[in-house]
Amino acid sequence: MALPTDADLLAAARTDASAFRAFYERYAERVHGYHLRRTREPNAAYDLTAETFAQAWFARGRFRDRAGGNAGPWLFAIARNVLIDSVRRRRLENNACERLGVLVEASTEPAETWLDGLDDPLDGALDDLPAGQGDAIRLRVVDELEYEDVARELGTTPAAARVRVHRGLSSLRHRLRQRLEAS
Amino acid sequence: MTTSPTPRLAGLGDELEHACAADLTTTPRRRTRRMVLVAVVVAVVLGGAAAIAADQLSTSDVASSLPAGTAALIGTNPTCTVVKQHVEYHCVLAKAPASEVSDWKGTVEPTVDATKHVNGGCRALRSDGLEWQCYLGQAAVDQQIISRGFLGQYAPEPGHG
Repeated sequence: MALPTDADLLAAARTDASAFRAFYERYAERVHGYHLRRTREPNAAYDLTAETFAQAWFARGRFRDRAGGNAGPWLFAIARNVLIDSVRRRRLENNACERLGVLVEASTEPAETWLDGLDDPLDGALDDLPAGQGDAIRLRVVDELEYEDVARELGTTPAAARVRVHRGLSSLRHRLRQRLEAS
Repeated sequence: MTTSPTPRLAGLGDELEHACAADLTTTPRRRTRRMVLVAVVVAVVLGGAAAIAADQLSTSDVASSLPAGTAALIGTNPTCTVVKQHVEYHCVLAKAPASEVSDWKGTVEPTVDATKHVNGGCRALRSDGLEWQCYLGQAAVDQQIISRGFLGQYAPEPGHG
């Protein structure tokens, strides 16, 4: 039996909190890793992760499946906005957590350096890749996971994960070259 | 497919799941929490005069209905234009709403007339919350912005998120 896609889980989460929990389990480590890489502060990364998922909860009804069931780009766009909003307002964004009744400390003061390199064309190019390829590259190259772990994250086999990374890197190389030429 | 989160992240998952379950039991689909709060107030403080009929409302009345229904829209100075007289309006805010929602697009909010009765509702058209499509009376019910029972109810204060 096929595992539900992210889109399936978010659709089910409109009326079922356990479906959202399954979605959380799928992405919690990666979202936390994203915020930790940016902030380098475990507590801040934890609070930003909480806010990211709280906002995802309230926005789940507006999710539109444009990536073959993959909600990764959508979720990381929320994570990115949470990070940017926090830095701009000089306090950790926690409105959605408050609205949901999830307690976070939000005591860390955001630093401008959290946004360093955020607009790196690599990030945008990864988001533009076909479904699964961007995630495969992030997991393998950025998070430095073994192919077995990449496969487990993506719900596929190690061989298929290897193919996704290979194809994704080829696409990425092509797209970055196009962008450089255009600029 | 899933990884085993660290204990702290697992704890966050538990907390989120409980909070989400609680949110489902208190939040009707397609409504924001502030609408529910308005409804709670309605349940406690029923009464007052009847709502103003939609055909007696000007565009400035419609514009005033937005912040009257939603605290986050107070001070945003909406202006509305007629799409369909007494039924549908397009409203633009001079100032972005309070930042309690990162992405406003698709969010629905009730509108409240000068007599403090729910007279319709609006749907945000943009992520920054600067543009809204508003519907009066039954049209807001048909658009699934507010429930039939909510229309015309007494709402003495703008809803808070």
